[in-house]
Amino acid sequence: MENLLFARTLMGISLGFHIVYVAFGIGFPLLLLVSELLALKTGNEQYHRLARSWTRPMTMLFAIGAVSGTILSFELGLLWPRFMGFSGQMIGLPFWLEGFAFFTEAIFIGLYIYGGNRLSRRALLLCTVPITIASAASAIFVISANGWMNSPGGFTPAGLGAADVRPWRALANKAWAHEAIHGALATYVAASFAIAGVYALRLLRKGRGGMSPDRPGPTNFNLSRPGLSLSLAVGGLLVPLMLVTGDYSATWVARQQPAKLAAMEIVPRTTRGAPMVIGGWLDETTGQIRYGLQVPKLLSLLAFHDPDARVLGLDAFPPALRPDANKVHPLFDLMVFSFFVMLAPSVWFWIARWRKKDVFASRPLLASIVIASPFGLVAQEAGWMVTEFGRQPWIAYQVMNVSNGVTPRSVEWVLVLFVLVYAALTAGLLKLLLAPEAKAGAPDEEEKY
Amino acid sequence: MGTPDEMGVLLVGLGLVMYAVSAGADFGGGVWTALASGPRADEQREALFQAIGPVWETNHVWLVYIIVALFTCFPRGFEALSIALIFPLVFSLVGVNFRGAAFVFRHFGRHKGARIPGVEAVFSISSVLTPFFMGMAVSSIAGGRIRVAPSGPALSGQAMPYWGAADWITPFTIVGGLIGLSVCAYLTPIYMAARTAGGLRDDFRRRAIAGALALGFLTAIEVVVARFDAPLFFWRFVRPLPLALAALAAFCGCLTLVLLLRRAYGAARWVADFAVAFTIAGFAAALYPYMIIGQLSLAQAAAGRQAILAVLTTLPIGAALLAPSLFLLYRTFAMNLISGGPGDN
Repeated sequence: MENLLFARTLMGISLGFHIVYVAFGIGFPLLLLVSELLALKTGNEQYHRLARSWTRPMTMLFAIGAVSGTILSFELGLLWPRFMGFSGQMIGLPFWLEGFAFFTEAIFIGLYIYGGNRLSRRALLLCTVPITIASAASAIFVISANGWMNSPGGFTPAGLGAADVRPWRALANKAWAHEAIHGALATYVAASFAIAGVYALRLLRKGRGGMSPDRPGPTNFNLSRPGLSLSLAVGGLLVPLMLVTGDYSATWVARQQPAKLAAMEIVPRTTRGAPMVIGGWLDETTGQIRYGLQVPKLLSLLAFHDPDARVLGLDAFPPALRPDANKVHPLFDLMVFSFFVMLAPSVWFWIARWRKKDVFASRPLLASIVIASPFGLVAQEAGWMVTEFGRQPWIAYQVMNVSNGVTPRSVEWVLVLFVLVYAALTAGLLKLLLAPEAKAGAPDEEEKY
Repeated sequence: MGTPDEMGVLLVGLGLVMYAVSAGADFGGGVWTALASGPRADEQREALFQAIGPVWETNHVWLVYIIVALFTCFPRGFEALSIALIFPLVFSLVGVNFRGAAFVFRHFGRHKGARIPGVEAVFSISSVLTPFFMGMAVSSIAGGRIRVAPSGPALSGQAMPYWGAADWITPFTIVGGLIGLSVCAYLTPIYMAARTAGGLRDDFRRRAIAGALALGFLTAIEVVVARFDAPLFFWRFVRPLPLALAALAAFCGCLTLVLLLRRAYGAARWVADFAVAFTIAGFAAALYPYMIIGQLSLAQAAAGRQAILAVLTTLPIGAALLAPSLFLLYRTFAMNLISGGPGDN
């Protein structure tokens, strides 16, 4: 069992690490597109400079996302060879299609970044279109593989393998649509808020009179305002959609994976008119909920759009097939909580702007944006963990157990090694991202090509 | 063209060749960064660094392509290889990661005026180790030591011991690793010679000649080593088709040398790519119809017909999207159209 735990831990760390870079790999392109479009439409050069100012962090984050994604593609086999031997022919197609999308993205990112001096402004804008579409398509394809793990289809079980494989049916599995929509939007929200936080922090520091010597030149501060507005426009517009698409996902989970729903919302026993539990945890010995705030009938209403609907409880499943509510539920709450943390400052910001207040000088507003900024990423990670922990003990829902998918090789050394790799990558990345900007007059990378 | 699994082999083979000639040249950049010497050592490093910049990530995608093509078209083979080759694959992977990260860190750090200590060393070392371990992993499927257990649920808690199954460290695979390394060391200076001028060009020309000789020597040695260490492979290799492909590889290698001596760098670049492609093709032809020699045939490893067909039918659509995009990228930055290597600039 220990080897299984090591394998799961490593897979979890690897995906958790990768997801952060994915958010920027998908989020930045949309911001680039909007920004270059604004620059061309309004003639406001600031938006073009804003977009160009993202190229360096974007390249670095994209590169780390690419290499950490490569680790994942190997780890599918290194950690879960039995699973891949079984399911490779079903989930291979979305990864294959994702490859085309990723390739397209890499090509046009190369063009956009290194083409600053070789391409016209219109051509640069045109580059951002395939980058945006391809990056979103990558996410949507890859999520199809996760969707398949949650609702395996497109084959006939035959002994330990699969017969009569219909890859397109496997691709268009039942969980795909809701997971892909919710997941892809989450990346935009996560990236936009993280970026908004950086600008809000810069404005806060400036407000403190801290034109610190290591951040010379007016450029940064001039870009902070359009940068904040733009990222908060994208993030603020999309964040309400998280609730809508989240509701869509929850109703799907309620019907297709009732054990996951029971763990998400802590439903110990099958109930009619089930309450929504906020906070709290499940006492495994008594089957009681401790310290949770319970809103009567809300769960039945939300999940089945009927206040008296019957919700299957954990007791409807044999103990070995129950996900751990004390993992899934707090993560679910964290995801929902993050939503409100992000919603508040974006509503505040846009109302204040609409009322012609100086939003860029309001310290409490800026501070609240800074506080909210990591919560998109938090929500993304938490939501992904809800999906994964909620599916346990299945690696392919009701088809294959996680313990039957794992490698027979010892993997603790791989776990240790990759934790060190990730630590080194994170340290290097943070050092460079947090390092002061180059002095004015430093060569711009695009000038070299 | 034949059965789905034959088509699957072509897909994986295409990926291997493309990865070897494109990313191989990038790894070679790291190798020659480590081996930079002479009065122009810094210039050599700088030129290599500049050349890799816009293309390494695009070239890197071929690795993901290979993995995905493998598990989609040959899931049982992917399963067996992932279990058998966990060590060389993990080591390669660490190298892939550090190489990419070190490159971007160095690139980004330079423009920001920030430096990460040891980043050049990490870049060079991982550029050397990665092709070596990849070479070992690829050659070990022909080494004859890998045993494939019947597929089925793994017994959790009964993990295999650490070094108990070192089937992948044999004389044959060690030379295989060196061949992987020399492929990179061979390609890069040829691309670089085509791209540079003056004394720097002479530096790369000499290195290209050294690389070509090393690759030729090592592949010849590998055949001899196989006779004793991997007899199954050897006897499959001395058949008409593999020998013909090996002869073509040798011919292209010699032609590269001639072209280098005559300073025809543009042509040398193409011929060098073909030398590598024929080397891989010869290896694959000897292995065919096995995926893991003597243990697992391609047909046994293959996915259902529909799965491979889905991949095949989407390939032209993907290619129709990618080909013009790649053309645009390479034309914009004046790079080699086949390999993405640096072009005449």
